Amino acid sequence: MKFAIAVFSPAHAPSSRRALRFAEAVLASGHDIARLFFYQDGVHSASANIVAPQDELDVAAQWRTFITEHSLDAVVCIAAALRRGVLDDTEANRYQRPAVNLPAPWELSGLGQLHEAAQLADRLVCFGGD
Amino acid sequence: MAKSLLIISRQAPWSGPCAREALDVALAGGAFDLPLGMLFLDDGVFQLAAAQQPDALQQKNLAANLQALPMFGVEELFACAHSLARRGLADEALNLPVQVLDDAALKALIARFDQVVTL
Amino acid sequence: MTTLHVIAHSPFGDQRLASCLRLLGADDGLLLCGDATYALKAGSEPLQMLQAANLGPRLFALAEDLQARALDGTQVIAVDYPAFVELSLHYDKVNSWL
Repeated sequence: MKFAIAVFSPAHAPSSRRALRFAEAVLASGHDIARLFFYQDGVHSASANIVAPQDELDVAAQWRTFITEHSLDAVVCIAAALRRGVLDDTEANRYQRPAVNLPAPWELSGLGQLHEAAQLADRLVCFGGD
Repeated sequence: MAKSLLIISRQAPWSGPCAREALDVALAGGAFDLPLGMLFLDDGVFQLAAAQQPDALQQKNLAANLQALPMFGVEELFACAHSLARRGLADEALNLPVQVLDDAALKALIARFDQVVTL
Repeated sequence: MTTLHVIAHSPFGDQRLASCLRLLGADDGLLLCGDATYALKAGSEPLQMLQAANLGPRLFALAEDLQARALDGTQVIAVDYPAFVELSLHYDKVNSWL
């Protein structure tokens, strides 16, 4: 079966880690992930500038590794990301901001990508909260 | 056939970007001609109150975007009767033509859609 | 179509659980995650609400959240992540109360 997974909370929220563990279990159970979509405060889960204390779990780094290892399609909503200061190279240049915090494997795109993923998938599962 | 999606919006309008971002999901789906519904629940029904003036908070008015829903093909608009009644909105004119549904009708509504998300 | 409702906010001072129980269909399931599992605290008001709803085998909780909070899981079906994935497929759709 195919899953679309949407994340609505930042890396420090328990639900970002929960989404990641769910996504890992989806693949481990032999299912597919059509797309990961990061919306609202979930765009912070994609930030490359998070520095987790050494003795704490680095969920943003784990997302990055998971996405890279499995070559997953990971889309960050561009409108939500701009509003919250999560920028790739192109957007940082466009708006003349001093920092880039969204390198590959993430991709900035629109909400249409969420709808497309939901159409492609057998299940849309969203994660937010505490 | 395209899967239908019910978006349940339960955030008050001026407490941050959440209500607007829930509406953006609906408008984006409408632009792709997807079969969408939108239900206002809990504090989300405050989005429907008439004559609000968010310019006092230097915020954009959500009402204009809400009223764009039918133009974007999102014509299935609902509000929870219980949420309206609890918030003193049951007898007031609302800024959007919504069908007001009781709990039994809401259960049937949620069951009818292929996918549901509560924002 | 059946729905698995997922809640991940504390039931104290929040309407999600109450609203969800009002709208829960006869064949729908409820999965409590994160702080929503505090609803299972013995002697609490939310537990009374859950017991009144009488969900029986349709009430689930994420096992790791029960364990972390020292909550009693005997009133629910405790699930790990593979079981969460299976649950999401057992029901026709998943409605997360974000």
